Amino acid sequence: MDERFDVAIVGAGPAGISAACMLADNGVKTIVFERGEYPGAKNIFGGVLYGHDLAQTVPDYVDKGFPIERNIVESRLWYLSQSGGYSVAYRDQAFFQARKFNAFTTGRARFDRWYAEQAKAKGAVLVCSTVVTDLLRGEGGQVIGVRTDRPEGDVFAKVVLLADGINSPLARKTGFRPEPKPEDVALAVKEVIALPEEVIDERFGVESDAGVTIEILGDVTWGMNGVAFIYTNKRSLSLGIGANLLDFSQQKVKPYEMLEAFKQHPMVAPLIKGGKPQEYTAHWLAEGGYDAIPRLAGDGFLLAGDSAMLFNALHREGTNLAMASGRMAAEAIMEALGSGDLSRNGLAGYVRRLQSSYVLKDMAKYRRFPHFLQDHKELFTTLPGLASLAAREMLTVNGIPKKAKQRTIWEAFRRKMSIRQSLRFVWDAWRSVR
Amino acid sequence: MHFVCCIKQVPDTAEVKIDPDTNTLVRAGVESIANPYDVVALEQALRLKEQYGGRVSVISMGPPQAEASLREALSLGADKVILLSDRLFAGADTLATSYTLSCAINKLSHEHPVDVVLCGKQAIDGDTAQTGPGVATRLGYTQFTYVVAVDWINTEEKQIQVRRKVEKGSEVIRGPLPALLTVELELAKPRRASLPAIVHALREPIGAWDGSAIGASPKELGLKGSPTWVRSISSPPAKIGGPTFDAGEDLAEAVAKTLDVLFSDKSFAIKLAKRWEA
Amino acid sequence: MAKNTKGIEVAEIISDKCIACQICIGECPVAAIQLTAEGVARIDPELCIGCGKCSESCPVDAVLFEKKKKRRLRKEERGIPPEAIPGYEGVAVFIEISENVGAQVSWELAGKARELAEALNSKVMGFLLGSGVEAIAQDAVAYGCDEVHVIDDPQLEHYLPVVYGKALADLSETLRPEVLLIGATHLGRDLAGVVATHLRTGLTADCTGLAIEQETRLLLMTRPTFGGNIMATIFCEHKRPQMSTVRPRVMRPPEKDEERKGVIRHHEWTPPMVELPILVELIRDSADAEGIDIARSPALVVAGRGACDPSTFHLLEELAHLVGGAIACSRPVVESGFMPYERQVGQTGKTVAPKLYIGVGVSGAIQHLVAIQGAEKIVAINSDPKAPIFKVADVGIVGNYLKVVPELIAQLKKRVG
Repeated sequence: MDERFDVAIVGAGPAGISAACMLADNGVKTIVFERGEYPGAKNIFGGVLYGHDLAQTVPDYVDKGFPIERNIVESRLWYLSQSGGYSVAYRDQAFFQARKFNAFTTGRARFDRWYAEQAKAKGAVLVCSTVVTDLLRGEGGQVIGVRTDRPEGDVFAKVVLLADGINSPLARKTGFRPEPKPEDVALAVKEVIALPEEVIDERFGVESDAGVTIEILGDVTWGMNGVAFIYTNKRSLSLGIGANLLDFSQQKVKPYEMLEAFKQHPMVAPLIKGGKPQEYTAHWLAEGGYDAIPRLAGDGFLLAGDSAMLFNALHREGTNLAMASGRMAAEAIMEALGSGDLSRNGLAGYVRRLQSSYVLKDMAKYRRFPHFLQDHKELFTTLPGLASLAAREMLTVNGIPKKAKQRTIWEAFRRKMSIRQSLRFVWDAWRSVR
Repeated sequence: MHFVCCIKQVPDTAEVKIDPDTNTLVRAGVESIANPYDVVALEQALRLKEQYGGRVSVISMGPPQAEASLREALSLGADKVILLSDRLFAGADTLATSYTLSCAINKLSHEHPVDVVLCGKQAIDGDTAQTGPGVATRLGYTQFTYVVAVDWINTEEKQIQVRRKVEKGSEVIRGPLPALLTVELELAKPRRASLPAIVHALREPIGAWDGSAIGASPKELGLKGSPTWVRSISSPPAKIGGPTFDAGEDLAEAVAKTLDVLFSDKSFAIKLAKRWEA
Repeated sequence: MAKNTKGIEVAEIISDKCIACQICIGECPVAAIQLTAEGVARIDPELCIGCGKCSESCPVDAVLFEKKKKRRLRKEERGIPPEAIPGYEGVAVFIEISENVGAQVSWELAGKARELAEALNSKVMGFLLGSGVEAIAQDAVAYGCDEVHVIDDPQLEHYLPVVYGKALADLSETLRPEVLLIGATHLGRDLAGVVATHLRTGLTADCTGLAIEQETRLLLMTRPTFGGNIMATIFCEHKRPQMSTVRPRVMRPPEKDEERKGVIRHHEWTPPMVELPILVELIRDSADAEGIDIARSPALVVAGRGACDPSTFHLLEELAHLVGGAIACSRPVVESGFMPYERQVGQTGKTVAPKLYIGVGVSGAIQHLVAIQGAEKIVAINSDPKAPIFKVADVGIVGNYLKVVPELIAQLKKRVG
């Protein structure tokens, strides 16, 4: 088409829309392409969003009626063996009031639709049901626009922002991002289980607008490097479980079988008892951490969100990194448009911003974490059982002196792991999150 | 030739999730789309315009969300799109809806005489298939429902020949214009709008007509003009797992008990005995 | 709770609590809720049907609504006397002709009409249109019509909506039935809209339940709506006849009684004064025995992972044949290459709605279960008592299918021949 835009954004997810909001707010002529029939149609995520990042692009999101399921006031961490497990929980009054909406659960289709409406209201052009099939290049190889699958579908834009998610055929085709290695990708499946509101309130000990998240490690992932979660929605629970794609393919495990088993776990089953499965979805996650991040900026283009493999595996943060990166991309683009330098150099402000923000700082901090998980499978195999054995033995009152029990535990431990292995484990664990 | 197409905005039932326990659909979210049958009707209208010349007008009755469908129609090549929107239209059953649409088509006909009205066979939310025949009857147009092909239009003699589905096959039938067609999905594969057309349509103002604009009598509109009212709403009976019998103990008895459960539904037993004949 | 002018108890939104999330707006099946300029949702009481969906979906409990189990209108509320609209009497059934005999659905309706007529203390009328239809009129009596009103005219040999529409509307205007029922077939649905528009009366499509509300004499018509999510019961208070199309194979047909006596009356009529369409050609579908479409098969025997052995498929074939259906399978069987993809039931295969579904060795992964939602009866045979399919099955047998299926075949043969 003849009309030209300053910025073309591929993907109307949290990264793309965050950028669109900021650009349109500042009068930058922006067009957004979404392959789904509407934003969110093709998107899947665990279910938790963070108010901080949302406020950066839509400061009055509370007044604008953002869609929310429950405000998260309590986070739990579980470490599970086959028969039981440890639970750590933290709840704070601050999350009810002063830091309300720090984290909240929401429905992705609903949220994305709402978020895109905000961008449209600010003046961005949103075109749905349209797939970007290729990038247009200038003589020097720089990106000068996108090609869509619509008739007369070429659009010229000064800068293209790729925010089309991890499973991006475009990234594959253009070679801007190497195909993620199987070990850098996790496959997660999610089931939403409907339960009456009061039942959820009661089982999680909350009032109906407050909610709980549970992050789960242990042998629920059948020895694979993975995690599971349970999030409370208004009238349903989101249960998810995922593991490294490489592990899945090596162990020939079907993710939904693992999900079914997870649902039977003695710590999980009581929470979902009587619930009705409502939907089932599967999704890829960028789990490679800092080292899997591709080149984020080039001549005339930037990558944001999942496209850029920005994902904090330890804290299960993906959507907020997407929103933050989209926002920073927009800032860098405006800077470049101002200076007239749209080359990689001109757009370098993007990487600088990411590096000086929590996005890359956190990812750098946990740089070794993915490797640690991948190298120390005992975290998912022997350790959950041992940890449970320890607690079970100490808590069982059966006339055996505690000292003897400690010896039993220690011996069991020694049989499974040498001192050297244990020290290595502790050292690597410390290094990976230091 | 003046082709008029009626489009309804409906909840996207393809996005609806099924509750496996209660055997019902869960209507989640607020997504609405153009009724797929109506989209086919629009495609056919555009093809007829290309073949026989003339213009395509598109009308949609509904809340402002229906604007999205009209923009889509505009980007596909409709010459005129009109949103029929009025508080008085709301709550209409098929009698009142067909009245409203026929008033609007009448108004369009005053601008350019209408030759063919195209609608979907039915809307995927209500599945009534009543509005098309209602409009045809009110306007006195020749009615062809369940159309799977338009063979030809004779613009001189004002005749149209179509192929339509009937109970045990199909028929080829021709009749005088103006005519109203309700179309099946297989009639035509909808085209895609070009990118410039879409972006252009996004910026076009959408015309809107209210009750007085189409010269409708308020007492025949919306809820007031609707003889049918909803008395009550209930969920379909929930489906829960029935009994199971262990064949390991006594095979014959387990099977017999199973069949007892199955045959306790007499109408089902009769259908099975007759091997499901219609 | 507030009531609207129709006496329906409607929901109200508490402005102070509303956070304008718009969830209720999306949930409302009749678009009765809008966001006001003040930024709160408001329910239009006249549009509200009192379904309570908004109240269920509201995240902040800002909807004032009390769901009642069963609501009965008091006489004062109804505002009309029980004898309803005078001058209309009897339950009429349109007798559709299919293959030169009365269509099955018409007899089903005649049976239902008898029930309704008894509740109204009234009569059953058959409305019959066609050419040379004396025998069908006799059948209509045998199936329970007290009166059969016939327009027998060569012009009615082929169905044309404009001709049939006028004929049926004319009969209705002459005979003034309280209720007019039409089968929800291709022809019936085409015709009903025309007749209702001529008569300017209400029409409810595709009903699955009909009943008379004793105190009001109103016909309560129940139909699935909004994608089958809810059943709506609809009534037509101020216009007559109360019209409804009824889904075939829902009502039970009455016994045919050749001895029954009834009145058959022929009526004169004037055809419509318009140029009529001309039927050029009638093409009948040829019965295709080979290309079985599992989505249309009335019964399916579905082989799952637990019965993924081609050497045993003959057993399943035999069972399928016995119940008048076809054999299908779940995904693992296709992946093993033992059955073609066309036979696969499931999220990535076909969605099916047979009257009888027999799952053999099907565990019931959710991807499979979502595709068999529409099945009327689900029978599960599986050796694992914990298989999820038992949770949705109407009845299940835990055991080895190699033993269970032959026994099932033997016993079924005894019961249904």
